Amino acid sequence: MKNRVRELREKHGWSQAELGEQLDVSRQTINAIETGKYDPSLPLAFKLARLFRQRIETLFEPDEER
Amino acid sequence: MARYSQRQYQLQVAVLMAVYALLIVFEWPLVPQAHDLVLRALLALLPAIPVVLVIVTAARQVVRGDELQQRVHLIALSIAAAVVSAASIVGALLVLAHVWRVGGDVLIWVFPGSCLVYGVTRTALVRKLTGTWTCG
Repeated sequence: MKNRVRELREKHGWSQAELGEQLDVSRQTINAIETGKYDPSLPLAFKLARLFRQRIETLFEPDEER
Repeated sequence: MARYSQRQYQLQVAVLMAVYALLIVFEWPLVPQAHDLVLRALLALLPAIPVVLVIVTAARQVVRGDELQQRVHLIALSIAAAVVSAASIVGALLVLAHVWRVGGDVLIWVFPGSCLVYGVTRTALVRKLTGTWTCG
């Protein structure tokens, strides 16, 4: 799944560790989400959307269906 | 719930495993000298205490981890359980068929075997998902 987490985090001037602290997850988890290697759970996706004041569907975009 | 750091977790496990090693080296040789059955059983089981505490510490680490850490732990544990179970059934069938002759003491390798497969799998998963060697 593509997402805009890195773009929005950098816009806010936060490091991965700082964002992780606000969401109570590790820096490695933020890195895995940003690189698209891990899709967060729905509760974590909503927490991200709320933190960045975005709608969840503008934050995460599903890959093209094969 | 506050998360352990990976360093705290590794320190706790290292201390417990050091206690286990000390018990095996210094206490275990006393077991054959104990003539009372209850005392012998207690001495024999003493090294199991730090091992059980390692399992409790690992379980606590899983519970306190974030969702990615939990996923990594649980996949690694599942693969370790599957590999060791498969190896156990293969070994048991070979023993029952009298192809492979081993005593019951081979069971001592179940826990270290599980830890080995878990560790390798977890490291590979963390490397794949985060590009680093640690996930905590």
